[in-house]
Amino acid sequence: MANRSNPRKRKTPASSKLGSRKKKARTRSRKKKTSKKQKWLSFSSWPVRLFILSSFLFLAYVIYLDVTIRVQFEGKRWALPAKVYARPLELYPGKKIATAEFLHELKILGYRYAHQTKEAGTYAQSGEHVLINTRPFLFWDGEEVSRQIRLRIVNEHIERIDAIDTNQLLDIFRLEPAVIGRIYPAHNEDRELVKLNEVPTLLVKGLLALEDRSFFEHHGLNPKAIARAIIADIRAGKMVQGGSTLTQQLVKNFFLDNERTLVRKLNEALMSLLLEWHYDKDEILEAYINEIYLGQDKKRAIHGFGLASRFYYDKPLSRLNLSQIATLITLVRGPSYYDPWRNPKRLIKRRNLVLSIMAEQKIITHDTSKRVQRLALDVIPKPSGVSGAYPAFMELVRRQLRRDYRARDLSAEGLQIFTGFDPTIQKTVEQALTKRITQLDKKHNLSGNLQGAVVITESSNGEVLALAGDRAPRYAGFNRALDAHRPIGSLVKPAVYLTALESKQNQKYNLTSLLDDNALTIKSNADQLWSPRNYDGKSHGQTPLVTALMNSYNQATVRLGMELGFEPIVDTLKRMGVMSSIDPYPSMLLGAVNLSPYQVARMYQTLASGGFNTPLRAVREVLAVDGSPLRRFPLKIEQTIQPENLQLLNSALTLVTQKGTARYLANVLPETLQVAGKTGTTNDLRDSWFAGYSSSHLGVVWLGQDNNQSIGMSGSSGALRVWADIFRKLETYSLEPLELDSLTYHWIDSENGLITDEDCPGAIYIPFYKGTEPEQVSDCQ
Amino acid sequence: MPSFKLLACLILFTSLAACSFKTQREEGFPVGKGEVSQVRPPASTTSAVLSLLGKARQAALEGELVKAESQLERALRIEPRNAAVWHYMAKLRLNQGKLEQAAGLAAKSNSLEKRDKQLQADNWRIIAHARHQKGDLQGARQAQEKARQLLD
Repeated sequence: MANRSNPRKRKTPASSKLGSRKKKARTRSRKKKTSKKQKWLSFSSWPVRLFILSSFLFLAYVIYLDVTIRVQFEGKRWALPAKVYARPLELYPGKKIATAEFLHELKILGYRYAHQTKEAGTYAQSGEHVLINTRPFLFWDGEEVSRQIRLRIVNEHIERIDAIDTNQLLDIFRLEPAVIGRIYPAHNEDRELVKLNEVPTLLVKGLLALEDRSFFEHHGLNPKAIARAIIADIRAGKMVQGGSTLTQQLVKNFFLDNERTLVRKLNEALMSLLLEWHYDKDEILEAYINEIYLGQDKKRAIHGFGLASRFYYDKPLSRLNLSQIATLITLVRGPSYYDPWRNPKRLIKRRNLVLSIMAEQKIITHDTSKRVQRLALDVIPKPSGVSGAYPAFMELVRRQLRRDYRARDLSAEGLQIFTGFDPTIQKTVEQALTKRITQLDKKHNLSGNLQGAVVITESSNGEVLALAGDRAPRYAGFNRALDAHRPIGSLVKPAVYLTALESKQNQKYNLTSLLDDNALTIKSNADQLWSPRNYDGKSHGQTPLVTALMNSYNQATVRLGMELGFEPIVDTLKRMGVMSSIDPYPSMLLGAVNLSPYQVARMYQTLASGGFNTPLRAVREVLAVDGSPLRRFPLKIEQTIQPENLQLLNSALTLVTQKGTARYLANVLPETLQVAGKTGTTNDLRDSWFAGYSSSHLGVVWLGQDNNQSIGMSGSSGALRVWADIFRKLETYSLEPLELDSLTYHWIDSENGLITDEDCPGAIYIPFYKGTEPEQVSDCQ
Repeated sequence: MPSFKLLACLILFTSLAACSFKTQREEGFPVGKGEVSQVRPPASTTSAVLSLLGKARQAALEGELVKAESQLERALRIEPRNAAVWHYMAKLRLNQGKLEQAAGLAAKSNSLEKRDKQLQADNWRIIAHARHQKGDLQGARQAQEKARQLLD
């Protein structure tokens, strides 16, 4: 009740009834005074309530800040980005690698040329020898220690590897893998954590001398320094100087931006006090050393002295010299303003000031200070920054891991992700794709709209070695390798022909079975009539199966497919690794099946690996931040095609590249290199495909336009050219036939499928199940 | 079940023991004592792969099967057509209880090598194991029979 009366009473003095009540009022005045006083102090008075309320709010705010700061400090103190690695380069006697290519690999790894390879991360070269001082690296299966090794490379082959440190001949050695990208949390912060006892004493002392001399005495704030700063600010008429302690700087780095408002200052002060209340000085110092922002590498922010040491000197923090330590201390004040590559003079001046102050504070002697002040900056050349350069592949890595890890864990737990990615092959792919597309685009007047994608995998194990999803492969836009689902055209034909070769009914089909390639009209899905025609517009009558596949005859394929039925063909596609559902319509026989280049690679992988359905893998292993193994993605294979049938198909697909639609390859690949493959073209020349493989690599190339308009190219005049440019440069091995007792090989006339002579025109050498080979002879003489 | 695992371990270790010899060519290719499995890497196997097989064997002996697996995968990347390495991989999978995978790898090994009868027979035995587990008793018997014929 009293609560409610109060406001009314305040109004009463102003009321007109005041005079008549004077007397009463006077008599009451004493009482009133005392009660007023009581009310002022009692909970019911508004100032008290306001005070209590604001205290309560303030307390709540402090508690909020307290929780925030403790969560930040104790829980996930730092979000560590995941590091994604390329495959480690395996070095062993007999390995084919050109010296130039090897030196390029060292460059990607950030190895520096040095006359004397005394430090890890350096190399020297003279003639056939390359001397390397390798960096230590913790792999999934154990550590490779730092070693001095000498390679002898003769005729583009490693002849021998000597470990100079132990005077041993090495059978095999793994270089550390290159970091090809990082999966960042929101702010692109990168760091390498160090413990306080790993930090050089000079660095700690110097840092405190420059930034906060009374660090070990204060409680988070330094009133003297603040007063000094305020005076300076008043003199200047704006905020110019900060009296910040290390603790305040840490808080600022943790949460706040550089805005200098009073509220921010207060927040910062409160949080600093709270931080000091909860944690001891060493913990705060260690946090500071890991948190402070010390540089920028394109999008990536360099935080903490640990990573800064690697970034500027390619060394662990513990091995820095005095000049380098003073330089890093300098960078605390502004990594961009004192950028060693852009503003070296400015940096040296300030570094020398740091050294003088260290001498004044008796951390070092004046003599040492003077001596070191004369030294040049010895930062390494600015890293070329391969990081973030492979957007298509990085996207694939993220997708493979998304099944097992949450997005936050991927970007914050410091995971180490090992992949099979091969930077050298990627380079070949990028150069070939960009160059060829530019050329074809011009030739076909496509005004820069011709696009393309490439997938390269390892034939035997399904590892993805290179990936490009754009004609400008470094551009992180639409990833066509994974996301452009287009009709595959004739790439589907091997599934149709394999189904025929596999059909058990009296071994009806072999490679020389005659197919009818005459024109036909059939009912398609919507009861419409469909008349598929051959690419050359001609009919070829009775033609051997192998010849129909070599030349990609549409009419023969549709007739064959209609006879086999859709179901077994869809089943074959499934066994080849096609996961998406396929509509069983006649047009499916000519490739009305939409797949991405990556899915096509998955399909052809089964053929490339010898009939084993092999899931594609981007990631090999995942390690935790401390190097403990978390997850492995092992090689998985399942035999889904019998070796004999696979061999029959592979022989036909090899002939495609020698005498069929991809015979262009016979002119441009080395004569000894046998490959198999298939061209694909879709209606109105909208898509140009080629999928092909050697015994070691599989490559799928797609060209087309994003708006699905015609590009005026078939598979052989477009995608095949890109594929050839890549495989010409690739270190790849010939496709060798499987040794199978149940097969026998004969020379056959590709026109009529009869036995013929090796020298006869159109003679091809193909396998048959024993007992199914043709008996008739076609004499060419 | 434990006895099966033990048996599988024995098969694995003894087969990998084939690679326990010194890897330097000039010292030849002696085979360790107590050798049971006759499968050895072919003479054409490079010193790099022999060295990795040695590491794989060591890891397997220490019970670190995942490390062994990783070394064998390294070896396969260098020599993808070495049937013996595929065979060791199959044995490893068998030991890990992944029978279907073991059968796939054994089949792959067999598709690459037609001369080494011991290797082929061992691969057929692995396939028999896998088929048996899947309940394909007839298939298992056929595989066993193939293994027997190969060694006749």
